[in-house]
Formats: sequence, structure tokens, C-alpha cells
Amino acid sequence: MSVQLNKYFKYGLVILLSTALILFTQQIKLLKDPASTPVEWMTIMGLLTLWLFSMIGVLLSDLMKKTPIKILQEFPMLGWVAVTSLVLCMCFDFFVEAIGYVDFLAITTPILTFAGISVVDRLVDLRKTSWKVGIVAVFVFTGTYVGSALLSELGLFLANK
Amino acid sequence: MKRNYVILLVFALIVITAAEMIGTQSLSFGAFSVSLLPLAFAILITMILGLPFVRKGFIKKIYSKVNVQFSSKYLIFIMLPLMARYGADVAPQLKEILNVGWVFIAQELGNLGTVLLGLPVALLIGLRREAIGATLGLGREGELAYISEKYTLESKEGQGVLSLYIIGTLFGTIFFSLIAPIMLDIGFRVEALAMASGVGSASMMTASSATLIERVPEMESTILGYAAASQLLTSFLGTFTMVFLAVPLQRFLYNKLTKTKKQPEVPADVRAAE
Repeated sequence: MSVQLNKYFKYGLVILLSTALILFTQQIKLLKDPASTPVEWMTIMGLLTLWLFSMIGVLLSDLMKKTPIKILQEFPMLGWVAVTSLVLCMCFDFFVEAIGYVDFLAITTPILTFAGISVVDRLVDLRKTSWKVGIVAVFVFTGTYVGSALLSELGLFLANK
Repeated sequence: MKRNYVILLVFALIVITAAEMIGTQSLSFGAFSVSLLPLAFAILITMILGLPFVRKGFIKKIYSKVNVQFSSKYLIFIMLPLMARYGADVAPQLKEILNVGWVFIAQELGNLGTVLLGLPVALLIGLRREAIGATLGLGREGELAYISEKYTLESKEGQGVLSLYIIGTLFGTIFFSLIAPIMLDIGFRVEALAMASGVGSASMMTASSATLIERVPEMESTILGYAAASQLLTSFLGTFTMVFLAVPLQRFLYNKLTKTKKQPEVPADVRAAE
């Protein structure tokens, strides 16, 4: 049990670090452009809300791993956090309001910073991949994006939106 | 050990500050204009500093084994607040989204574009069994698991999916922050592109939707809501689309295309020989 608690404590700290970095980024954005999203008391409430939803999602994801239903077991943790947030935001408008005080782009910069650090050891692996797959990758990425965009465009047209 | 993490944190703060100070940069190529957001600079800076020939001296200390491991192990947790934010973007628009719910489901089929566009190109430039792994999908965790279960990662198919995984991890966000504004300039509606952004990788979706917001700021809530809803749907339906649609389609196309080139049953022979 104490190992379990220790694990969640660690997760909690990392998520707290993430929210603190968001606050930092939002402040830097403000220095660069005073017209961007201000840092207010509600921003802190918004960040705490994001932390809380993340933690609930983590717990939910672990709980679902114990259910016998395969699709629930395999549904990613990122998805559980989004679902938790969606449900709680439907129930309480306050959460939507508070989260609205957190600048969206300020959330993304710290994540991509750590994403960059996490992949550096894979740069060497790039040599193992063939340039042919590199070309194919461009068409694969374009394929899924353009495919979905064409169907969405058609669908929205048919729905008269 | 502790000192290591402090160095990592200070480094992250410096990179964030630098990326934010560079800000959003717009580049124009003829009729197309693309904008690179701070998030793109953040990943570019950290990757360039991590290149083997740059990573020397003090930089080597920042990119210590512990720090790189910490970043990859906990990246998913660092991303969680972003996911929580997406819930808040979908909630106020859920009714509107459900109204066009069938469009969201229909556009999931667009993910088959990886096979339709990728496979012919892969075969054309001479890939065979690697093409199976490299075009089944975006090459994220779902495809990786499927291919490694069916062919193992050491097989040619496995090498294909692994290569795509590595390329996607390194260049996916940059690619999607470039293609989104180009599609907008071609004339696609921003709502359609927002839906298409839910490709199945959280960072690629974020890159695409963030760039769209930069171009059409007044639609921010719609863009985020649509992209997040489509992404959630992909997490639910992605496996089914892959197993029941992408795999049979790929097999059909593969046989059709390789036969017309008078190279009958190459994969079967190779497999038998191994």
C-alpha cells in the first residue's frame, strides 16, 4: 500500500511541476506580449483544476485496468483524463470558467520542451531507418490528415453546417 | 541525483523562455504561409542541442541519462493537464458536436488515408514488407503493438513500423504544424481541419490545432473542441478501424499492386526463405 501511495505521490508531484511550468510560461508570454492572457487568481484555480482532473484520470485509468472489459483496460490514460474533465466540466460550469483562465498555448510549450528532451536518444536511431520510410512517412501523415479533412468537409457540407 | 533534476528544471525554464521570446514566426512560400509557434521552437531547440555532435561538455550534463529517462518516463504525466484542458473545451460544445456526431464518426475513416496514399508510394519506391508496417497507420502505440504481435519487431514489417514511429516522434509535431496552415490556404474549412487534427497522437493533434488557432484566433473554442472530440473518438475507435478496415484494405491493395508489377508472391517467398 505504501508503495502504491508513493507512486501516486510521485505522479502528483510531476503533474504539479507541469502546472507550475504552465504558469511560468503564461507569465513569460505576458512579458513578451502584455495583451496575452493575464495571470490572475482564477488562473491558479484553473491550474489546480487541471491538476485535480489529471489525478482523478490517473486513478481511474488504474482502476479500469482491473476491469474484465478489454476496451476499458486499453483505453489510454490521456483519454481517461479528458473524459474525467469532460464529465466534471459538464456538471460544474465553474471548472470551465477557471480552466479558461489558463492560456492554451502556455500549456503546450513546456510539454514540447520535455518531448524534445525525451527523444534525443532516438536521434541516433534515425540512422537505422531508411530514407525510403522517411518519404513514405510524409505520405502516410498527409494521407490520414487529408483523408479526414475531405470526409469532414463533405460531412459538414451535407449537414448544412 | 538531486542536482541532476535541478539542472534539468533550470534548462527547461531557459528553453521555455527562449521559445516564448522567439514567439510566433510566420514564413511565406508563395500562396502559402506557415507559422511556427513557440511549441515548435521548444522541440527544435531541445532536439538540436541533443544532437550527438552538439551534446558536449555542459550540455552533456543536462542530457544525462537520468534526465532523458525522466523526460521520457514522465512525459505522459506532463501531458495530462493538456488533456484535462481539452475536456473543458469539449464540454460547452458537446451538444453542437453531437449534432454533427455522424460527421465525426465518418471522418474517422479518413485515417485509412495512410494505406490509400502511403502504400502505393511505398511500393513505388521499392519497399515491400516494410511497407506493411510503415503504412498501416500513423505508427503510434496501437500499430506498434499490432505489428509486433503479428510479425514481431525484428521482422521487416516490424522495422517498417518502428522507423515510422521514430520519424513520427521526432518530426510529427513539426510536420503537422506545417500541413495545417497549408490546407487552410488550399481552402479547407477550419472546422474540417480541426476534426482532422484528431489523428491519434496527442502532440500531433496539439501542433495542428494550435497552428489553426494562430491563424483563426476567433474560432479558438471551436477548433479545440472539435480537435479534442475527434481525438477522443480516435482513441476509442482507432483499434477497430485498424483491425477491421485498415488491415484488410492494406492486404487487398498490397496484393493488387504487387501482382500488376509481375513480382508475384515476393513476400511469401521471402518469408518462407527465412
